[in-house]
Amino acid sequence: MSARFERNQRAGADVPTSSMADIAFLLLIFFMVTTIFKLEDGLPVTLPKAAAAEQIAREKVAYIWVDRAGRLSINDNIVELKTVGGIMLGKLGANPALIVAFKADQQASYERMADIMEELKKVNATKVSFSADFEPRP
Amino acid sequence: MRIKKKSRVDTTIQGSSMSDVAFLLLIFFLVTTIFNMEKGLSLVLPNSESAPKPIAKENILEIKIDAAGIVTLDGEQVAIPSIRDRVTKRILENDKTICVIETSPRSYYKYMVDVLDEIKLADARKITLRTGKR
Repeated sequence: MSARFERNQRAGADVPTSSMADIAFLLLIFFMVTTIFKLEDGLPVTLPKAAAAEQIAREKVAYIWVDRAGRLSINDNIVELKTVGGIMLGKLGANPALIVAFKADQQASYERMADIMEELKKVNATKVSFSADFEPRP
Repeated sequence: MRIKKKSRVDTTIQGSSMSDVAFLLLIFFLVTTIFNMEKGLSLVLPNSESAPKPIAKENILEIKIDAAGIVTLDGEQVAIPSIRDRVTKRILENDKTICVIETSPRSYYKYMVDVLDEIKLADARKITLRTGKR
């Protein structure tokens, strides 16, 4: 038996690139579709700055907007202080791990904030977060 | 006179650079997408049902903010950036220290956040908010 070794034939090293464009466009369209644009606008506020600001899971958060003049907004509606407790109680029922985030203007009066926190305490919405723009400090 | 039949030009689209274009767009959108993560200073308020517990006086670190935003720490006036070191020192001395932030209702919310930020930077765990006299 005479074994004859044939010289390995080099395979043509072609990567089929014709479908690459399809893949890229698919990804592009996927990201475009899944991007959620911010719908809620709340009130125009200038957030205070903080270095210790930590990240919070967005799905747990309910926002209360407080502007400089002390106006309150929840879910894009201007609300009265007295109704805050009721609204938060409803949200708390849907999500017991709810965190109430204050999107409050840095020049809002502390009295207003204290009043809102009192309302929250009444309905046991005790987890709060003071939204702030992250600004590192030396 | 003989009219020559027009020769058809080969109508293939150059597909090889299409993927380059697509990826360029993809990367552009990836880079320009800003993830607006929610950032804030978290705090747990006291429950309305729980009766206020008496706290030993030596465990309390009282930080007062007056209407003009002047901060006093245990009766001594301090600058806001120096609060962090003071609180760190106190916690090292006594790990049961509870930071009480008493803010004047006529003060701006900003001052409370500034002080809270400093205390958070000092890694204090027990923080309470209190409202000053109206």
